[in-house]
Amino acid sequence: MNVTQQILNGLVIGHSYALIAIGWTVLLGVAKLVNFAHGQMYMLGAFVTWSAISQFGLPYFLAIPTAMIVGVAVAFLMQRVMLGLTLKQDLVSIMIVTLGFGHVLHGAAGLIFGSTGKLLDTPFSLRDVYYEDLWFTHQDILIVVVTVLVFLMLKLALDRTTMGRYARMVAEDPDLARLDGIDVRKVYFGVFAFQGAAVALAAAMVAPRTPILTSMGFEEVIITFAVVVLGGIGSVWGSYVAGVALGMFTAFFGALVSPAYTTAAMFVVLLTLLVLRPGGLAVGPGGR
Amino acid sequence: MKIDLGLPFALAAIVIGYFLPSLLGGSSAIYSAFLLIAIFAVMSYGLDLIVSDMGEVSLAHPVFFAVGAYTTAILSVRHGVGPAGTLLATIGVSLLFAVAMGLITLRLREFVFSLVTYSVAVVALTVAQNWNFLGGSDGITGLPAFEIGLFGFEFSAMTDRELWPVGFLLLLVTLYVVAAFRRSRLGHAAMTVHLNQKLAIMSGIDPQRTRMYVFLVSAPITASAGWLYAYQRAYVSADVLSAYFLLLMLTAVVLIGRRVLLAPLLGVTVILFQEKFMSFGGYIDRIILGCALIVVLAFIPGGLIGAFRTLRQRLRRPSPKQALEAR
Repeated sequence: MNVTQQILNGLVIGHSYALIAIGWTVLLGVAKLVNFAHGQMYMLGAFVTWSAISQFGLPYFLAIPTAMIVGVAVAFLMQRVMLGLTLKQDLVSIMIVTLGFGHVLHGAAGLIFGSTGKLLDTPFSLRDVYYEDLWFTHQDILIVVVTVLVFLMLKLALDRTTMGRYARMVAEDPDLARLDGIDVRKVYFGVFAFQGAAVALAAAMVAPRTPILTSMGFEEVIITFAVVVLGGIGSVWGSYVAGVALGMFTAFFGALVSPAYTTAAMFVVLLTLLVLRPGGLAVGPGGR
Repeated sequence: MKIDLGLPFALAAIVIGYFLPSLLGGSSAIYSAFLLIAIFAVMSYGLDLIVSDMGEVSLAHPVFFAVGAYTTAILSVRHGVGPAGTLLATIGVSLLFAVAMGLITLRLREFVFSLVTYSVAVVALTVAQNWNFLGGSDGITGLPAFEIGLFGFEFSAMTDRELWPVGFLLLLVTLYVVAAFRRSRLGHAAMTVHLNQKLAIMSGIDPQRTRMYVFLVSAPITASAGWLYAYQRAYVSADVLSAYFLLLMLTAVVLIGRRVLLAPLLGVTVILFQEKFMSFGGYIDRIILGCALIVVLAFIPGGLIGAFRTLRQRLRRPSPKQALEAR
């Protein structure tokens, strides 16, 4: 085994995990909401990017915002349908409804894009870098750079802007925030829109690494769940660190044991942690 | 609305139910649909106890269904065990899984509980696809016919029509168990924990133990549906862990109404009727099933029965003018 190569793989996989999970981190941290359609929204983001490039001939840098707009639209629609449940904080029903949305997205994507696998090639994914016995693509570099930028911007937005302050207030106490004149609905819509845009961006970045299928998306939910819980629910920095750590784990487990069982192994790690600390490595609401 | 069936009425319903497929023409498509309705209804009743009575969402129930199907397939194909033996083994293995799952999730609640159970289902799918012991991606093929020969009683079933009595009997036993559970002390304890955990603890009910016991009742029910499903299909693959079964169970449980004995059966009937006789192809059927689930939970949380009740109350309520005249 080439250790340096695996560390490199782990870094790239880890940053992609963190990027896939970022929307959920905010969703759970600010709005205390979960979205099981997350994986199918990832799938949709990948296919919209593919379609924009291969069917409509758009350049990659325009295909990305297209996918993000579709992601925001889907998130907006979901939140519109679930608004009553969100305001009641009826988590049990919200979870099942988002599962339903995932099923609908899966069906709709199958209808539009068919059931065969597609290759999502970008100008970056086709350019390889060979350095001594190491190999990576320009897409890999892009993933790491974009992930770091997104995390920095989110951190600044949550800490320094009015919007971020409102979001943290709603996370702390929705009722009190309402008394202060904050429109809680707008914050929920904003958080959902961010999740939709972020997961579509993640798909446009990460999906070119493997062939894409409309049936994918289930493992992405597990990855996201692991990142969010290991990172301390709602913590932005925690998610980044947990993402990179899980990426390393995946790279080495895949190389040393078996790539087929990485998700299962990741889940066992997560379970062990949850059994030892049922609340996860929880931090305060809207935490840092 | 509490439906008190009464014994004669229940017996009449059972007799009519048994002969319903032949009353509807008795084609093999009808028998297949009825058998699948019975199997999937039994599968859904296991989840019904967790969702309607415990008030939590287990997304791992497809795993219990798969445990039944795989246990049956492995024992009958590789070891030549008959249906009675595979049923006993199914119940035993599903209890072991339920204990394991119950212990792991003992202290988890709400969304962490649901996420862990969901992860169990997804991980089980990847394991089933890759592990040779479970047949890998090919699954296990060539299940023998359903043949029982006990104490001079001979029964053999090859087709769905011949399996229908088994499916119907399994459904009746399940209905009886669910009804008995709801009357039992455990059923009452589960409802108390669901509605008011603090009150439950003050009344001396241990919520964690209650949840574990409810799991132990629920898992074998869903697993026994997997047992019959294996014989019906004659092969078992990782498909039994697909999201379809989860969505089917959840929709069947919430569609008609909570804590109504026949609701999951009616829910499954509605869904399968659409899929078997009014299908628009796999993708659109998937959209319909997902939308049904979304619409019920977001807009008619009481299910169709709840919506019907609200409507009836509105119709009955006299207008203000009538109310004045009535004085």
